[in-house]
Amino acid sequence: MSETSTRMAAVIRDLQKHYVLKSETVRALRGVSFDVPEGDYVAIMGPSGSGKSTLLNLLGCLDQPTHGSFLLGGDDVAQMTDDELSTIRASRIGFVFQSYNLIAQLSVVENIEVPLYYMGNLNAQSRKRSIELAKMVGLGERLDHRPTQLSGGQQQRVAIARSLVNDPYFILADEATGNLDSVTTEEILALFQRLNDEGKTIIMVTHEDEVAEHAKRVIRLRDGEIQFDKPVEGRKVFTVEQIQEIAHNADVATRSAD
Amino acid sequence: MLYFRTVKLGTKSLLLHPMRSLLTVLGIFIGVASVIWLLAIGEGISKEAQRQIEDLGAENIIIRSIQPPDESGGNFRQITAFGVTRNECKLINDTISTVKRVLPIRELSQKFAYTGNPNVKPVDGRLVGCTSDYAEVTRLEIERGHFLTTREVELNRPVCVIAARLADKLFPSEDPLNKQIYLPEKKELFKIVGVLKHRNATAAIGGSLAAQDFSLDIYIPVTTMRARMTDQETKRSGGSFSSKLFELSQITVQVKSADDVPRTAELVEATLRQNDPNRQDISVVVPYELLEQAKTTRLMFMMFMGLIAAISLIVGGIGIMNIMLATVTERTREIGIRRALGGKQRDIVLQFLVETITLSIVGGITGILMGLLCPVVIDVSRWGLEYFAPQLYAGLPEVARVMRPTIVPISIPVAFGISVVVGVFFGLYPAVRAAQLDPIEALRHE
Repeated sequence: MSETSTRMAAVIRDLQKHYVLKSETVRALRGVSFDVPEGDYVAIMGPSGSGKSTLLNLLGCLDQPTHGSFLLGGDDVAQMTDDELSTIRASRIGFVFQSYNLIAQLSVVENIEVPLYYMGNLNAQSRKRSIELAKMVGLGERLDHRPTQLSGGQQQRVAIARSLVNDPYFILADEATGNLDSVTTEEILALFQRLNDEGKTIIMVTHEDEVAEHAKRVIRLRDGEIQFDKPVEGRKVFTVEQIQEIAHNADVATRSAD
Repeated sequence: MLYFRTVKLGTKSLLLHPMRSLLTVLGIFIGVASVIWLLAIGEGISKEAQRQIEDLGAENIIIRSIQPPDESGGNFRQITAFGVTRNECKLINDTISTVKRVLPIRELSQKFAYTGNPNVKPVDGRLVGCTSDYAEVTRLEIERGHFLTTREVELNRPVCVIAARLADKLFPSEDPLNKQIYLPEKKELFKIVGVLKHRNATAAIGGSLAAQDFSLDIYIPVTTMRARMTDQETKRSGGSFSSKLFELSQITVQVKSADDVPRTAELVEATLRQNDPNRQDISVVVPYELLEQAKTTRLMFMMFMGLIAAISLIVGGIGIMNIMLATVTERTREIGIRRALGGKQRDIVLQFLVETITLSIVGGITGILMGLLCPVVIDVSRWGLEYFAPQLYAGLPEVARVMRPTIVPISIPVAFGISVVVGVFFGLYPAVRAAQLDPIEALRHE
């Protein structure tokens, strides 16, 4: 499969997830199949109760399916033990959460390093890489700051840097702009686009159409099944100048906050 | 490197709540310090008790005369003699082969006066009739002059040796040597030939282990005492007289070797009770046996102290567990993040365990330092008490004033080891609970 012209970041086949609640069984996912080629930018949408969160947990290897397979780089995640799942999460997935989820007692650079810490890859070289990533998201001068000293947008940029540190198969963004104002949202989306342009695969879960419009492809779930899976028509794309301007403005905002 | 990171992270997490961490450490700190303190004080007290018993002489057997309860109803015509006699003293010396020597002692409460200085009031003290061996056997040390000599005892000389505090009281500004001490109740004069060194009170010759004060004693030849004061002692108190008749207050039997003491004690007892097995007017005290008893008591005492200390450590451990459980709940979100970012269950266990172990090690080390300060703190508080509340200090039991806390070396590694074990033991449950949280639930936790 990896020999084909477009390699697959993830292959999902007939994924089902049932929850047993007392007497009744809730079928949160009823057989979902799709491929995510490398370099794709997918928005997963759907109303609450559609199985969106369940799919997210499965894609994030935080949970295991009741039935079906989830191939991540050729390994079927569905059959793994808890420890193996942890290793997969540390090495192959880049998480970006709605509420940033940085660790309060760690500095910016230490937060970025956390996945490497759990992979056991902490060394001078990895520190250098973490610093580079912090610079890339415009926080090169705030390496020693604590999350509480940063704005929401800055924290989310740290989280994005963290999601990149292990060079993951894909970035999994869960409502990544849900807590941010429109300016900062744009800043984050511009960053995502830039990463995607550089070849990173991004899967984001969102309920906002404006956010989904930035993706290349939308998968809409309804009642645990895929309602549609299609490319975004009239995709909103930031121009290179726009990206630079947004990054510059964010940089200025960061500096003036000091 | 990774372990270093874990420890660094643990420390950072703990410093996030400095007050909480401090209080948790305090629990262990108190536990460890109290292990060391209680054992040190226990050791100090039992050493002191042992020393006092040894002062009696492990190779000695002591026979005290006991005045029977007065059954005559105050009719002092029927005074009967009680206690050990000079004959018995001689008998023991002559018949028991393991006996090295026997010391006859007779004691009376008396007033002592010095007529040469009108400003000095008579002092209540104890008049001790004894022989020249007495100083050696009871380990009295001479400051000036000499102790009673064999010749002075043989010749019934009216000479005396006085204890240090009595010398200070009667002769505040004079040299007591060669002065005459006057006994107003007996109307006798004794010439001072020696002054003793200051000495701490020690276990009673009666063997009651209550401290006995030697500091107001006057020692005269027992022969002189008999010749001048007879065996009958009459006291007037208020309008009535009381009288008692006894030859000796005590005999101290010195045995040739400590190993022979138990056997000799049996022989001595048999000799004294040969006519009346139920004789009530003597008591035989064997310091050697007391010493053996004291060793057993010491062991129990140490166990008791250790138990109290162990309880305080366990309480400290429960404090750790309590805090760590609260911490786990509070940091559920963080645990979720760490799990999502690839932390394995054992990584989470390790993380929380490192925190509790850090707490208990810090508590352990500071507790040990505090424990080592025990002798200093006790000295300082004694000094403070003596300075600011001298009456309270004087009211303290003798042993509390002279006892030297002795750090038991083994208590340091033991206390430290227990503190770490407590940290692991009480930290393990919260840590495992943290690791077993469902990452999805944990991430959702607000």
